[in-house]
Amino acid sequence: MAAALASRLTKGRSLLGGLTNAFSGLVSSSSGSILSQQQQRTFIQMGTRLKVVDNSGAKEVMCIQSLRGKKGARLGDIVICSVKESATKVDVKKGKDAIQKGKVKKGSVVYGVVVRAAMQKGRVDGSQVRFDDNAVVILGIKEKKTDEKGKEKKQNYKGGFNQPLGTRVFGPVPHEMRLKKQLKILSLAQHLV
Amino acid sequence: MRLVKCWFCSSTIYPGHGIQFVRNDAKVFRFCRSKCHKNFKMKRNPRKVKWTKAYRAAHGKDMTQDKTFEFEKKRNRPERYDRNVTEDTLKAIKKIDKIRSTREADHISKRLKPNKQKALKSDLKEIDQHINLIKAPGSQQQDSEKVKVMVSSNKSVQNEAMEE
Repeated sequence: MAAALASRLTKGRSLLGGLTNAFSGLVSSSSGSILSQQQQRTFIQMGTRLKVVDNSGAKEVMCIQSLRGKKGARLGDIVICSVKESATKVDVKKGKDAIQKGKVKKGSVVYGVVVRAAMQKGRVDGSQVRFDDNAVVILGIKEKKTDEKGKEKKQNYKGGFNQPLGTRVFGPVPHEMRLKKQLKILSLAQHLV
Repeated sequence: MRLVKCWFCSSTIYPGHGIQFVRNDAKVFRFCRSKCHKNFKMKRNPRKVKWTKAYRAAHGKDMTQDKTFEFEKKRNRPERYDRNVTEDTLKAIKKIDKIRSTREADHISKRLKPNKQKALKSDLKEIDQHINLIKAPGSQQQDSEKVKVMVSSNKSVQNEAMEE
């Protein structure tokens, strides 16, 4: 998490990023030189760290495989991830954030759908949408069975991932979920974009 | 289809143009082109960037309060289609546009016209400060009076020599 933040800083983005109010009146001359190189936002690929925005127990997740696209996943695609940081009671000894009924532990392999992507996605009306960060909602845990691994995986995927693992979703959710048949996530969302 | 305003420069965004950025607090920022988007990423305040409408409105350069602006308000309720209403609306749009643009032009020309009272004030002040450059009315009259002086015409020696 710290490493991810550090890398973000070196690329010339302030810590608060898009959360600061533009009317706060930052002197452009001082920050202009730092922010002159603008980031090129690309696909979500192997190694990409994503934020988890449901209450499944995981906090941060790393993509290990994108199930769609050769170059990587975009907004609305499903990815296979490994949980890097979790808030489940097993992993967090004490703390207010410890989720009692957390379903995923650190190190487990999960399926997730990308609900927010920093890379812009084109919509049918011709507009482009982009979000502030890369975020994922966990759909299911990948079963680790040696013998029936091939069969199990096929079964899971055929049924499709429609039900998220958590019961709440935080932050804005795009309409692209409707196209991807993630209707439960849409219903749980606080804000629809 | 809905025409929206660019968050940075306040120009209208037509369908198929621009990028909309969704912040994590679900606030949507729409930009008409990458110029505005990049300025936003640089954290520039549109009220301080000279070419934006926000700056011009804040500094009184452009007309802000007028009844013609009320016609362009955002309405969330869709209207039932009525052919006559649509026709009338289209005609009205053109007329209102014309009226608004003439009023805006008037506002700008009024702003650019020299302020007579202000000019008079500054002129009076100038006279006060540099009064020493101006002669007193009495003295001026004395100079203008021409005095006739009788001069005897002595032909100079040189001239006589030249004549010969």
